[in-house]
Amino acid sequence: MNSFKKAINNAHLSRFRFYFQIASFVLLIYGGYLAINIGDQLPTFACIFSEHRGGSCYLLGLQHQMGTPWSSYFSGRGIGILVGLLTFIGLFLVFNKAWCGFVCPLGTVQDWLTILRNKFKIRYGGYSEPVFQRLSKIKYILLALLILIPMAIGNSFFGLATLNHDFGVPFCQICPGRTLLPIFSGDFSQLAIDLSSKTKMVFTALGLLITGIFLAGSFIKKRFFCLFCPMSAFHYIFAKAALLRLNKDGAKCTRCGNCYRACDVGIRAIADDLEHKNIVKDDCMMCLKCVEMCPEQGCLQVKFLGVPVFEATEDGFFKRMRGRDDAK
Amino acid sequence: MDFLSECGGVTMQSDLDLRFVRMQKTTGLHLAMEAENTLQQLTEFADTPQAMTYFYELFRNFYKNGHQLPAGKKVIGTMCLQVPDELILAAGAVPVRMCSGAYAYEQVGAEFLPAKSCPVVKATTGMLHINQPVWGEDVSAIVIPTTCDQKKKGGEMLKEMGYPVYILEMPASKDSDAARFYWQESVKKFALDLGETTGTRITSAALQAVIGEKTECCRLFRKLNDLRKGKTPLIFGKDIFLVTSAYFIDEMGNWQQAVRQLIAELEEREQNDLAVTNRQAPRLLLTGSPPLFPNLKVPILVEQTGGIIVADEVCSSNRLLYDAVSYDEVNLDDMVSALADRYLKPCTCPCLTPNLDRNRKIVELVNSHKVEGVIYQAFSGCLPYEMEQKSISQTMNEAGVPMLYLETDYGNEDLGQLSTRVEAFIESIKARRRKK
Amino acid sequence: MNMQNDPKAPSSAAGNFNYFAGIDIGSTTIKIVLIDQDERIVGQDCWPTGSHFHKNTLAAFESLLARIQISRWDVAYVFSTGYGRKLFKDADDSVSEISANASGANKAAAAHGKVKTIINIGGQDLKVIALDEDGHVKNFTMNDKCAAGTGRFLEMTARNLEMEVAELGACHKKANGVPLTINSTCTVFAESEIISLLANGNGKEELVAGVHYSIARRISRLAKRVGIEDMVFFDGGPALNQGLIEALETELMRPVVVPEFPQMTTALGAALIARETFAYLKDAANG
Repeated sequence: MNSFKKAINNAHLSRFRFYFQIASFVLLIYGGYLAINIGDQLPTFACIFSEHRGGSCYLLGLQHQMGTPWSSYFSGRGIGILVGLLTFIGLFLVFNKAWCGFVCPLGTVQDWLTILRNKFKIRYGGYSEPVFQRLSKIKYILLALLILIPMAIGNSFFGLATLNHDFGVPFCQICPGRTLLPIFSGDFSQLAIDLSSKTKMVFTALGLLITGIFLAGSFIKKRFFCLFCPMSAFHYIFAKAALLRLNKDGAKCTRCGNCYRACDVGIRAIADDLEHKNIVKDDCMMCLKCVEMCPEQGCLQVKFLGVPVFEATEDGFFKRMRGRDDAK
Repeated sequence: MDFLSECGGVTMQSDLDLRFVRMQKTTGLHLAMEAENTLQQLTEFADTPQAMTYFYELFRNFYKNGHQLPAGKKVIGTMCLQVPDELILAAGAVPVRMCSGAYAYEQVGAEFLPAKSCPVVKATTGMLHINQPVWGEDVSAIVIPTTCDQKKKGGEMLKEMGYPVYILEMPASKDSDAARFYWQESVKKFALDLGETTGTRITSAALQAVIGEKTECCRLFRKLNDLRKGKTPLIFGKDIFLVTSAYFIDEMGNWQQAVRQLIAELEEREQNDLAVTNRQAPRLLLTGSPPLFPNLKVPILVEQTGGIIVADEVCSSNRLLYDAVSYDEVNLDDMVSALADRYLKPCTCPCLTPNLDRNRKIVELVNSHKVEGVIYQAFSGCLPYEMEQKSISQTMNEAGVPMLYLETDYGNEDLGQLSTRVEAFIESIKARRRKK
Repeated sequence: MNMQNDPKAPSSAAGNFNYFAGIDIGSTTIKIVLIDQDERIVGQDCWPTGSHFHKNTLAAFESLLARIQISRWDVAYVFSTGYGRKLFKDADDSVSEISANASGANKAAAAHGKVKTIINIGGQDLKVIALDEDGHVKNFTMNDKCAAGTGRFLEMTARNLEMEVAELGACHKKANGVPLTINSTCTVFAESEIISLLANGNGKEELVAGVHYSIARRISRLAKRVGIEDMVFFDGGPALNQGLIEALETELMRPVVVPEFPQMTTALGAALIARETFAYLKDAANG
């Protein structure tokens, strides 16, 4: 048992993650070919616009549901909304934010862009801490809008006129997942501006612009888009109750900052926070690179239902460092 | 300072000239005696591991025929562990850490430095002063990070002596982004300037290889460190300080080989449950000013008195080799900034403020190595260490671990005083144990 | 004393092992205390150290034994302490003067309660020792390579004023004016300061008081580092000096307890440790 645990802790988790991401990507983008469907309440960007998807993103359903009058929330529809939400929460709670680091196809695409940049030997960019903190708030605004805009279709706020149905699923209309993911199954149709109405025209044009920013941004900055992702914001509401956890023992931390250097998102707290045991912050995607790079025995620990499944060890750290040199 | 530059230059006045030559001669003799004396004391302990012989011989040879610099390659002297030696190696030169622990050199430094300056700075500048006529042309640069004030001002004197001094700018604090970026820029500039000095541009392949080698050194050091955690005392602290002091002057590959052998021997002893000293010996941690060969006065005294140093938090040992560089991408940008982070982020030098990481690190070492008492060595004249004593003492008090504060220097005249204190400290730890 | 190897040891009834000795070999004087099984002091003595540590110590010890008519073979265990502790090879074991002082202070002050802080002034050092509830050393601090405020400082003052050290206390008591301020903490520089103060026509009494206050200030600064708790116990030769006691009480703002023989506490402690160690070894030998 001990040697098994040791083998796990010595593992090159990032390599495993690389293949796991490919598998998830194939499942979510091409699962349909094999008639696989793992549900419509997935806590990840499995885009509904990909024709042969193997499951789909909860945000689309959520936006749809929000577009009905409030009165209907308390009818049979309300039950539908509740069931959807509970399914989403249930799925999320099992894997916590590892959905982002291991499953999300849009995240995977960003990681591939990073690999591509690395091939060109181009340096990466980052934010200073204050900028990071400011940008980090955007995802909550997007989440609020994503819920409030559809609400304004079925309901009137402060006596204002209701919005028309072109404002339905506003986030999907600007999400780079909608434009990019269908491409992988040969569908380029989303790369166009919808001229059927003024609203749609504005939304889809904005969508294309964001897609451009997404591609350029994530080529330069690792996991560029995740900082703005409203799904990530939505996750964070429930993250404290998740079964999969990332814990930090502040007493063992030397603040060497290896974890912060490894963090693709750029979360400073992973290195500097010595107080909190639960170290999953709102921008975390649980890629666990920080655990791989931590040389302090048991300082960072991944636990599932309280059982440690992967933890920082001195041996593991040096094994991975050696592996890095051998790979050259 | 006039007389200094004259000593180094060609136009020496004859009496100064004679005095300088005489000082050179006596310093050389005293140095050899001092080194031999320390080695003698080190080897007087029973059950010393066989593999330590390599290190004893290394120092014996190093000081036998006068203090030599490595030949063949360009030598870059460093005045502090904050200088990334990886860059120097990647640029095809040999790094030599100049920090000296020799009383003979300290006496030379005392000729022109204020009496209250710290012995490390006195000895190091003294060493460079007395060896200037011989080393002057061999040293391509002496790199001084802007850590402590005395090293900075000492650097100015070295410049007057005619040494090519390179100032590596370092922030006085490490927590802000500004400090981190400032230091990263400093290190980047250093990497570029090194390329010009040595004529070999640093490539990402070369740097990756050197970082790999250094990482192996760190791995080995940590292995040694881990072997000191066990209940059975396997190796004396005085020997560990010799091993890490050897890193200053030895070639990396040879050092690794010797340490590997030492580890193998210690692991065997661990298997056979063979203790190097009394199992009841109080387990101590040494922190504060660095033990630098040949000044291993305090570690030797402590262990002669019956204690064993099982952990340390000093810049000639733990702080030197504990942390490995972790870069994310193989390109110069990421590797150099990772290197810079390695030297700044985990640093617990009292030059930095705030420096609470040092308190935390000591507490963690106390827990991991089951330490029963902390010995805090402060060199008279090193104000940052002297002042930080209060904060560490308070932390130790809260942790319920007794601490002994020793203010000392390279001289031996206070040995009687020191031994009374160390003895009383060890007696009080034993009394405390009986109470439990 | 290693009796087995000594040819002079009586063959039968090899001593009663009734007594225990503590020998404090200080920089100025050698102090010897002999106690019996019940920790009662049966003899004590104080000799100048001189230059031959070993010879003088042995002579002092033998003369004490002769005076109180106890055979060397009745002394079960001897502990040496003080600066010369390692140089007196006839001792069975040695202990640092800090541990010995703590042990002796507890005994000497038994009538007053538990000692929490010890202030000791020796010939060339100053010590402040903090004790825990059980009378064990919790923390301590000493002067560094500097004789300021030690017995030497008092000797130097007395010499400059052409009086005996023992007269300083009485001289202090006679002071009417404000004690003079002695700024220098260095014994050597203080000497010239004292001479110039005298030359300026200041009174001897105020000057002596000034010296005492300067020592007391230095001690209270040192004491703050380890923390001062009641009860404060003051020992070492200079604790015989009433003027210094007064100055110390003023500076520390609390009374201090001085034992009857303040210079003997450390030797007494060593004797107590000798008794304890012997009992422990006997128990260990008897299984």
